[in-house]
Amino acid sequence: MELSQLIQNLMNGLAIGSVYAIFALGYTLVFSILGIINFAHGAVFTLGAYFTYTLVVGQFENNGLLKGINLFPDGSPFSGNPWLFALATLIGAAVAGLVAVLIERLAFRPMRSRGGDPLLALVSSLGVALVVVNLIQLLVGAEIYNFPSDAYGQVRPALSFHIGEKVVIIRTVQLIIFAVSLVMLALLGYVIGRTRVGKALRAVAENPGTASLLGISVDRFILITFFLSGFLGGLAGTLVGTAFGVAGPYFGVSYGLKGLAVIVLGGLGSIPGAVVGGLVIGLAEAFVPAQYSAYKDAVAFALLFVILLVRPQGLLGRAQIQKV
Amino acid sequence: MTAVTTERGTVERGTVLEARGLTRRFGGLVAVNDVSFDVREGEIFGLIGPNGAGKTTLFNLMTGLTPPSSGTLAYRGQKVTGLAPHRIAALGISRTFQNIRLFRALSALENVKIAQHVRTRAGLWAGVFGTSRAEERRVEDQAWALLDLVGLADRAGESAGNFSYGDQRRLEIARALATEPRVLLLDEPAAGMNTAEKGQLTAFIREVRARFDLTVLVIEHHVPLVMDLCDRVAVLNFGQLIAVGDPAAVQRDPKVIEAYLGGE
Amino acid sequence: MGDFLGQYGFLIVTMVQAGLLGLSLYFPLQAGQLSLASPGFYAVGGYVAAILLTNPAFAGWRDALGNGMFPLTWLAAALICGVLGLIVGVPALRLRGIYLALATIAFIEILRVISLNLSITGGAIGIFGIPQAFGFQDRWQYIWLFGPLLILTLLFARQLERSRVGRAFRAIREDELAADAMGVPPTHYKVLAFVIGAVLAGLVGAMSAPFLNTWNAKQGTFDASIAILAFVLIGGSRNIWGPVVGGALLTAVPELLRFLADWRLVINGLVLVVASLYLPQGIVGALGGVRRPPPPRRPPSVPVVVEAPGGGS
Repeated sequence: MELSQLIQNLMNGLAIGSVYAIFALGYTLVFSILGIINFAHGAVFTLGAYFTYTLVVGQFENNGLLKGINLFPDGSPFSGNPWLFALATLIGAAVAGLVAVLIERLAFRPMRSRGGDPLLALVSSLGVALVVVNLIQLLVGAEIYNFPSDAYGQVRPALSFHIGEKVVIIRTVQLIIFAVSLVMLALLGYVIGRTRVGKALRAVAENPGTASLLGISVDRFILITFFLSGFLGGLAGTLVGTAFGVAGPYFGVSYGLKGLAVIVLGGLGSIPGAVVGGLVIGLAEAFVPAQYSAYKDAVAFALLFVILLVRPQGLLGRAQIQKV
Repeated sequence: MTAVTTERGTVERGTVLEARGLTRRFGGLVAVNDVSFDVREGEIFGLIGPNGAGKTTLFNLMTGLTPPSSGTLAYRGQKVTGLAPHRIAALGISRTFQNIRLFRALSALENVKIAQHVRTRAGLWAGVFGTSRAEERRVEDQAWALLDLVGLADRAGESAGNFSYGDQRRLEIARALATEPRVLLLDEPAAGMNTAEKGQLTAFIREVRARFDLTVLVIEHHVPLVMDLCDRVAVLNFGQLIAVGDPAAVQRDPKVIEAYLGGE
Repeated sequence: MGDFLGQYGFLIVTMVQAGLLGLSLYFPLQAGQLSLASPGFYAVGGYVAAILLTNPAFAGWRDALGNGMFPLTWLAAALICGVLGLIVGVPALRLRGIYLALATIAFIEILRVISLNLSITGGAIGIFGIPQAFGFQDRWQYIWLFGPLLILTLLFARQLERSRVGRAFRAIREDELAADAMGVPPTHYKVLAFVIGAVLAGLVGAMSAPFLNTWNAKQGTFDASIAILAFVLIGGSRNIWGPVVGGALLTAVPELLRFLADWRLVINGLVLVVASLYLPQGIVGALGGVRRPPPPRRPPSVPVVVEAPGGGS
């Protein structure tokens, strides 16, 4: 492979891989605390993108019950300036976080208090996903919506530079996605590693029983976890939406499934594992040769299958010693 | 039984189990450290030691639930370490568990029927087409007889999880016997039993040994029971075997006294 | 009658088909294995039938066999899915719980991408114009295929439950390690349960390809696995009637809600949430209470016969 091609693939892989990472962290946070996989996480991702779009554009002109309603008849207060767009993105992610909290209250908490089969948590979270996805379709239709091209301000759509004879082109949006993801990962690392909330979260994750003995309100930390999880999912949704468009209500489904591959690859419940898993899968997809690009979507799952066979605890997970 | 010659050499007459250098590490912890001993045919062999001495781990090594880090166990001259637990069960070594592992949601009868698996052979189609009725009847009769033996026949249909500790321990023994073992490993059979039940346990284990022609290994904390029941006793401390011999001699062994006084 | 069948025949057949798919997931669950692979085998079975029934390479077979071609597609689908189940099952079943579920999700996603890209499966368009089985004129006539298959499967499941193999499945579901220590080889029976599910799903797929007339990559998706899992869990996972009732009801609900038009999928999601919260035993479990089997009856007393291992039996 030529150097220019290598750099281009590397950049593509890092950009999408870092989004996989922050999205998958949402799964991991919930798994590490409750030991369950929230299958509605893909739907929260989708919601994040739609919320931000609503703030930035204010209307869905094509289809659905909301067709023709314009939230901002005098123009959106969130457009035209990259900082305003960033604000809209954060609000969109925060609302997605609140939806995740709502999902916890409606679909997970009642089951926890009844001590139901954990498999049923899987079904109820999928039920929620079905509700969310179809509500979106009902409200705004199944069309693709694109963010305005100046969402990130008046920047050049792509950067290009020469390596020898070859031109390397990198989309600006990829650089932005990568940068934002890195900032988010650093922030999250700080919150979990250094703050009191983070320490308590880790304590709850280690052992919910002990944590409640220590006077930590487990329910409150579960809510915080779901908010963080939804926030990260929603943010990932907007980031992907700016790169590829908000591709309809089912837009989150394939990310939801790939996210599963990411967390298993990295090690279920491992926070650094989710980051490593995301980057590995992003890079692996970027380096699929052009003639096999149709098989790109299978790469994550092939890696998942292989890792489960050779190292079920994942790249960074700890092997569990079985108690007899 | 006469001397048996195998690729491992000639085995001493009457030796059923030979442990040689059994070792198991968990991370930095050595749970069982270079343990060697022989168990003779037909004896009741006690395994005692302070909590955390590695007794249950040793049982797990012997039954294949935990692979040893090094060392071997031979059953009648055949190496069994490295075999899967169900293969070891098929050879004739069965066990109970310290923290009772019955099939809790299933009935007492079914618990015992399941354990006859290795002595029966009906496959998928024989079961589906009902061509294994004779075998099924035998399984059924055997299960009832074993429940009778442990005094639980009148509660055969109840879920195992509903039984008292003492009854669960007895049911686990019936289940272990259903595999038709030659060697039976009992992990703290008296734990959770009341005084009256403990009193009957010695006689019961002796009766079972005689009736089924068994060799029995027992892990037990209750010292009077061990002294009364066992022909020989081995003492584990911090994973190491510190004494083997007849109960009275072991009880006088300074190393054993030290281990118990230092440990408690 | 004709009107009724014309209006509801398709729905009724689809309900039976859903019950069968539920059962295909129920078998591995009997041995404690949460597998979501059923739609994958269903898709493969359908592709096998579709290819045999439309691909020019098999035109000679079709001319020679006539209607005999349909049973051949069932046989081929069952065989191929059985072998595929073995190939996937042996490595995957070393995994437990959610890991196995995730491995089977990976399996169906890989299958989906492959079927989208191969020319023999018709790529993204899929295979269309699949001839109707035995020259059926109406969709409801497929009840003559799915109905007997359902009855046979239920009989099979009932007999299995009462047998040595069924007991081994339950032992593994209850406590895999204890089962192993008591002489039940877990991997053997986990793979067996998985393969039974795979063969059944493949058979249903092979019958469904002519029923649906077209076959494409949408047939074996993650959504389908979840739907099938919901059939079993909401119907009840501890009773053979659970998957059948769950499959039939969850298939019928969206149809009965047709008057709600666009809202019905939203309602369907709510049904899943509410049912999993408030009917944890499943519908069949809730209806029957926790139905206890009758207390076992003691046979005429027989002395204990204990044979030395290796001797006799």
